[in-house]
Amino acid sequence: MIRIRGLNFTYNGADRPALRNINLTIEDGQFVLITGASGGGKSTLCRVFNGLVPHFYGGKIGGKAEVQGMDILKTPPRELATKVGMVFQDPENQLVTTDVEREIAFGLENLGYPKNLIARRIEEALDTASIANLRFARNNELSGGEKQKVAIASVLALHPEILVLDEPTSELDPQSAEEVLRLLERLNDELGLTVILIEQRLDRVVHLVDRMLVMGDGKIIADGTPGEVMNGDIGGLGIGLPPVIRLMRELKSHNAPVNGLPLTVKDARLRLQKVLQSVKTADFAGGGANLKPIVNMDKVWFSYGERAVLKNINLDIDRGGFIAVMGRNASGKTTLVKQLNGLLKPSKGKIRLEGVDTRKSTVAELSRRVGYVFQNPNDHLFADTVEDEIAFSLRNRGADENHITSAVEVMLDEFELGRYRKSYPRNLSGGEKQRVALASVLVGEPEVIVLDEPTRGMDYILKKKLVDYLDDYRRKGNTVIMVSHDVETIAECAERVVLLSEGRVVVEGGKREVLAKALLFSPQINRLAQALSGYGVADTTLTVDEMLEQIG
Amino acid sequence: MPELSYRDKNTVIHALSPLVKLAWGGGLVVLSLIFNHPVYILILFLSIIPLVRLAGVGREWASTLKFTLWLGLSIIVINALLSYHGDHVLLAAPFRLPVVGQPVITLEAIAFGAVMALKLAVIISVFTLINLTVHPDDIMAVLLKMRLPYKSVLVTSLSTRFVPCLVEDMGRIGDGYRTRGVQLDAGGWFKKLKNRAKITIALLANSLDRAVQVAEAMEARAFGSGKKRVFYKDISISRMDAVTLGVGLLPLAAGIMVRVLGFGDYRYYPNLTSIGFGGWEWVMPAVMLLLLAAVVPLAFIKRRVEFD
Repeated sequence: MIRIRGLNFTYNGADRPALRNINLTIEDGQFVLITGASGGGKSTLCRVFNGLVPHFYGGKIGGKAEVQGMDILKTPPRELATKVGMVFQDPENQLVTTDVEREIAFGLENLGYPKNLIARRIEEALDTASIANLRFARNNELSGGEKQKVAIASVLALHPEILVLDEPTSELDPQSAEEVLRLLERLNDELGLTVILIEQRLDRVVHLVDRMLVMGDGKIIADGTPGEVMNGDIGGLGIGLPPVIRLMRELKSHNAPVNGLPLTVKDARLRLQKVLQSVKTADFAGGGANLKPIVNMDKVWFSYGERAVLKNINLDIDRGGFIAVMGRNASGKTTLVKQLNGLLKPSKGKIRLEGVDTRKSTVAELSRRVGYVFQNPNDHLFADTVEDEIAFSLRNRGADENHITSAVEVMLDEFELGRYRKSYPRNLSGGEKQRVALASVLVGEPEVIVLDEPTRGMDYILKKKLVDYLDDYRRKGNTVIMVSHDVETIAECAERVVLLSEGRVVVEGGKREVLAKALLFSPQINRLAQALSGYGVADTTLTVDEMLEQIG
Repeated sequence: MPELSYRDKNTVIHALSPLVKLAWGGGLVVLSLIFNHPVYILILFLSIIPLVRLAGVGREWASTLKFTLWLGLSIIVINALLSYHGDHVLLAAPFRLPVVGQPVITLEAIAFGAVMALKLAVIISVFTLINLTVHPDDIMAVLLKMRLPYKSVLVTSLSTRFVPCLVEDMGRIGDGYRTRGVQLDAGGWFKKLKNRAKITIALLANSLDRAVQVAEAMEARAFGSGKKRVFYKDISISRMDAVTLGVGLLPLAAGIMVRVLGFGDYRYYPNLTSIGFGGWEWVMPAVMLLLLAAVVPLAFIKRRVEFD
């Protein structure tokens, strides 16, 4: 059991507390979800459970915290390791050795366990995490999902009673994320392990958990079953509800006779089937207007050495369009979009940016027209202050200082970065860094903006702001190209979708054509619409608003 | 270029104890440094080939050899251009330089450069073979066996483990910089240096972040728990390994003996001495070759003993 009373914590050098007056009891065997806006204190709280806060990070702490009867404030993490196992966000940076077997043995070796016990624990952990086939695999050859499973196995080997996971799926593709979550469900169901999970994508997890905590500004601002929390007033919580829940809440607010909140599509379908009476016919088919292409890819091939990563890509991207590029990990998505600004050049075939062959232009020349926002904002940050960072591209082009000053002001204002203008960009929080990265690219007003997985690990509020901004940017006649696994966001904002597999374009078309009726890539609402098509609901419905138009 | 990291293979060389391979390889590196005679250096180089073949890493070795060839050629050229010793002048410049006099290219300077290049090929080949056939964690285990402190060995091992991540980071940060309109290789040397410095700072900041995350993950898995650490995959030395280790070290011992007795030297300047051996002197390189090759049959015997 975890018991926390009146806990306050401030990091060294911070001007405000990361945790404020936390009171919390978590019973053994619970599956607890912790969610909330970035910088709300989720990760800090989880690091209290295994003593990393305060022992590893230092800082000022007050109050009481106990795990399985041990006083956390007096017990270092290494002594809590057999009580609380912790899995971190980045699969790469938590693996210490070079192969799976040694990785699992690492903690046991540190505890000085006898070799025969270590051997037994390795077997158990491999089987429990279903990774026996990876036993002798090298860590650097594993996929992100496999790495996370190895990380889980390596803490399970210590036989912890509590497993804490800090956004373990944020860097994984949907399939890998699903596998990791299924494993957690099994650990909780079958082994009775207490699981505490930080997660932003509620649609993935709400149906798995017993309890949901929402944190904001260092405090627990909501606590209850997922149904209780999401049924209440969520206005100030800063969380994004899964589409089916949003739909039900909207229906209820329109006095529709629906009871409770569904946590899954199946649950929503059963509840709606009972009350569906009249459905207004809607036809969402048909794409946007035919626009003039700005990018033309003609029989493009690209290889890394002998390995072909892009195979015969033929694609036109319209000016003013919002295009989503989807596909499994390693399907060639990033390689495809890196061709657009010349970071990679086709091995065969041609890419033309309004008739100009990208092979004949430098990255510097193309960067004036094609902006590129990387997955990790740290890859963008070089300057000493936020305003210098934003001004960098313009200054590099030799722009007039007056123009630079006014353009930087607009960006600081647009991305709410004014108060950080003199801050060192790398000292900002993840969400703030992401905004700086975006501002530093958009300040150049590129006609085409490419974003590689911009919503990964983003909280709901940030995601909403980003999508609104991009939609606005597109309406000004610019083109937005977004690589993403986030089906729900794509369903809301994209116009066209390109689906890649093994380096080839498998499907390309309007979002309805690609996302509706798809097995894996359809959004929650479309899965619901498919099930309700017998009642007259259009099976091309993708969003909550479209569904409400028909049944609201 | 093929990947030059360890891959598990079912070969007699992979099955050899890492201690033996490290002793044999270390011996070869030392010998290549203490010998000057081209025949001895050639023997050292040739002795690596059967092990490379048996380990099934010929393709990877050939690719490093190609790189070594270019490096070796540059050594020969630089030595020929900068070292004006030697009696056999092949080419003389039609001008004189202050202090050094008339630049000349001599046969002796080329020969000296060629043998230095061969020495380099021996050293690079040894590192390639060890890298491809010894598991990095086994290297760590061997170092621990040699009673080096665990924390230092772990830090070394971790730094090696994160080298590929560092290379990836550098590529990404460089790309980030280029997409903001910077031409990394344009401009004068000062501008280039300034651009590279920015990347280095970003790289350093990323590495520090990574170091904190790794440390956190280690702490959460009881690193430094105060209990006496055990090593699950400790390197055990069987009697057969001890014999092989002895044989692996023999060339080093014999080579040192040969040098102490005053053999294995060679004079390049002012003119090349004869490459041949007088009287019974040829016995010594022959014995060296036999001792260096002895590890091969022993590897097969070890495999046979283990199967029995």
